[in-house]
Amino acid sequence: MTTLMKFYSPHASIDDAQLAQHAKSDADAFAELYRRHVTSVYRYHLAHTGNIKDAEDLTSQTFMAALESIRTYRGTGSYVAWLMGIAARKRAMFFRQNKPETSIDEAINLPLQNLSFENPVSRRLQREQLLRALRKLSPDRAEALILCFFSELTPVEAGRVLGKSEAAIKMLVSRGLQDLRTRSSLAMDVEYE
Amino acid sequence: MNNPLRNQISPEDQPMADHLTSTAQGMHISPNFQSNLETQLMNAHPSQHQRPSSWFSKAFTTLGWALAGFAGILFLSWAIRSLIPGPTPSQEILPTPEISLEANVRSGHICTASLALAHGFKVYLSSTNKTEFIRLDPQKTIGELRALAWSPDGQHLALVGNTTGHGNIFVTGATGDALQPVLPKSELGYLMEVVWSHDGKQFLTWSVANNSVIYLIEADGTGIEKITLNLYMASTPQFTPDGTRIILVGANSTVAGLLEVNLADRQTRVISRLVEDATGFAWSSDGSHLAYMEMDRELGEARLISEEFVTGNKITLTTFPIPKGSGSSLPTASNLSWAPDGSQVVFDFGRGANDRAIYLAYTDGTGIVKLAEAARTPALSADGCLAYISRGQVFLMDLRGLTSPSIPPSFGLADLPASSANADFRLDKLQWGAVSQ
Repeated sequence: MTTLMKFYSPHASIDDAQLAQHAKSDADAFAELYRRHVTSVYRYHLAHTGNIKDAEDLTSQTFMAALESIRTYRGTGSYVAWLMGIAARKRAMFFRQNKPETSIDEAINLPLQNLSFENPVSRRLQREQLLRALRKLSPDRAEALILCFFSELTPVEAGRVLGKSEAAIKMLVSRGLQDLRTRSSLAMDVEYE
Repeated sequence: MNNPLRNQISPEDQPMADHLTSTAQGMHISPNFQSNLETQLMNAHPSQHQRPSSWFSKAFTTLGWALAGFAGILFLSWAIRSLIPGPTPSQEILPTPEISLEANVRSGHICTASLALAHGFKVYLSSTNKTEFIRLDPQKTIGELRALAWSPDGQHLALVGNTTGHGNIFVTGATGDALQPVLPKSELGYLMEVVWSHDGKQFLTWSVANNSVIYLIEADGTGIEKITLNLYMASTPQFTPDGTRIILVGANSTVAGLLEVNLADRQTRVISRLVEDATGFAWSSDGSHLAYMEMDRELGEARLISEEFVTGNKITLTTFPIPKGSGSSLPTASNLSWAPDGSQVVFDFGRGANDRAIYLAYTDGTGIVKLAEAARTPALSADGCLAYISRGQVFLMDLRGLTSPSIPPSFGLADLPASSANADFRLDKLQWGAVSQ
């Protein structure tokens, strides 16, 4: 969150559900919700697209759609789960129109652990490699990992987005992590053969 | 990561969970983007449009509707014009001489070399009269064709073909006759690229299986040498002029950027830590100079550098402003290509496929010319013809004798072949063979 945004907000102490009710008629309340969750939405889209420009476009679309339909939010569930549901639909529409680059996904196999985080190139390579590895997982596992780690949803909230139970989300996360670990190990094995 | 989840992750999965968390935390949203979107949302909020009605607001509303109507008419006018095929960027500036250029090219007077095109995991060669692109291996018997490279003498075209994860190098003549495999067996995995040595006697290639390993293969398919580097390649290496070292964009645990590796002892030298783009560097034809694009995120500046390789003397050919900071979305520079006489470098620069432009920089540092908007993938021929892709077509531009900053004539050579593959535009490549005598 940029420091420019950290001005005094009368809504800062109100929880999301109450704020969402105010946001139906109060632009400042909607802005506060936006500031709270824009990073989660952006990281969700960046994790899926791997592309900053597309992630920014999808983040804009997500919040514009949320603004249009804020009156339909009934407050019965978590606001962030409702918002991430919109993000998931925008993401699905995006990939229907822009199918993922499957061949490129297979292209570069960087071992995850060995690159320094100090250099922007290393950071970018690390991020791209991790996102490529995520795209190789089953869609449910990848989505659970992205919602929990990139959007920082709880398993309950992620379950609401995916229509699954909390236990199912925890299982998906656990198996997704195992998959990632296995793939990373394979890359290391090849490296040191 | 949220705490309820952290407590339930097994110890062996914890490092991967931490890696995911740190990667996520490194994804910083651009402050400008965040601020602009917030402004848009505030303006679009329904409460912003519910003002008390007064004579002023009514007048304001009326004026607003009038402006909106005017804007609508402008938009409709633009939309109608955009549906009609428009002139190319260069044609907009210099509309008259294209016919003669086109006639000259079609009749074989200029731009006589074969033009190879990689697009959508297929490779094509221009027809003799340059009216179309003819697909190599139309039956797709050798799988995905994902890379191409003309031999130094321009007489042979090497391709990488991959079938079910197994790749081979194939060679054909300048007219695209039968593709001949170089390796007797495809056992190196999914091959990424192929590069000729400067004497045309060796290939360099690398495989998805391990991007720390390069293979040097004799052009006749014998004597495969596997070389393990102490770094990870992010780009295809290029040989230095003497063939003893390679240049690549890569990283290891201590450095990243444009690196030089001695093939004899694997010693690594950093040429520039600021080069990020995989195709953002190129050798001059005589091998004396290396051009590369540096991305200085601290200064907020992209710099095109020409380095005299023996002395290390550098000239900054041009600069572009870029956003500051490591989390920013940066444009990329790619497809650097030198003019045969070393006097110019062309390249494309931009963020996506549609907002790129092609630039020409004079290598004495005297200036830069934007040659085409909404264009990418430039390739210069030995006789001064620039090929590039714009708006679904391959264009040719005549750069011979370019002395003034005006835009030279160009014309649409052929439509970009339709492709069902959703390939990244960055894999598109144009490359000229030898000029016919």
